[in-house]
Amino acid sequence: MAGLIVIGLRLLIWLLLSADLETANVAIGLAVALALPLPRRHRQLPVSALGRSLWASLKAIPLAYREALALLIRRPGREVEELQPVEYRPGSPVAALVFLDVFRITITPLTIALGMDGPGRSYRVHRLESHHPLPQEPGR
Amino acid sequence: MTLAPVFNLLSGLLLALGLLFWFAGTWPMLGRASYLTKLHYLGVADTLGSALMLLGLLLRFNREWPLLLLALLSLVVWNTIFGYVLAVCSQARPRS
Repeated sequence: MAGLIVIGLRLLIWLLLSADLETANVAIGLAVALALPLPRRHRQLPVSALGRSLWASLKAIPLAYREALALLIRRPGREVEELQPVEYRPGSPVAALVFLDVFRITITPLTIALGMDGPGRSYRVHRLESHHPLPQEPGR
Repeated sequence: MTLAPVFNLLSGLLLALGLLFWFAGTWPMLGRASYLTKLHYLGVADTLGSALMLLGLLLRFNREWPLLLLALLSLVVWNTIFGYVLAVCSQARPRS
């Protein structure tokens, strides 16, 4: 099922690129989308996990604009590095979900993903706290 | 009654807001903030500002919507992941 979503996204990109809904063009796009290899882990991926991740990424876009306004209006506070747990862990990380998580974290201007910690249980996230004044650094 | 004037007005607002995000996000990059802080601002300017501009263009040139929508998707995904790559590359610790 998750494979179907990936194939659907490929077909969507083809149709947007060609801007042509003729039968022959759709058939070519479908053939290309099906012919491109699908990683085996995609086939095992539950559609609910992919759907949740996609929805969370979409929800991050309005949040990103709210955070952008907050960042532009207020002076950014201190920088912190924190760990954010990976939600879906079937063993080792699934590329599509990691991609969506990294996208969701990084598109919001107050947070940037810095990669995963060693065992892949959480993401290292760099966060700007906009609500705190910059700490005074003595001796500088 | 046609909706064209409303779309044009909305498009102008989105383009202006996008330009505002561009300048407001670019200005802090000239300062002395840390590299990662500058990357946070880069996200405001090049991802969110440019996305607003493309939305504005989408309302103004709606006959070209497939290509503008593709440009919008590519821009949002590419810029975000590029910011992530720059952030990861700035880290001294080895990745596993």
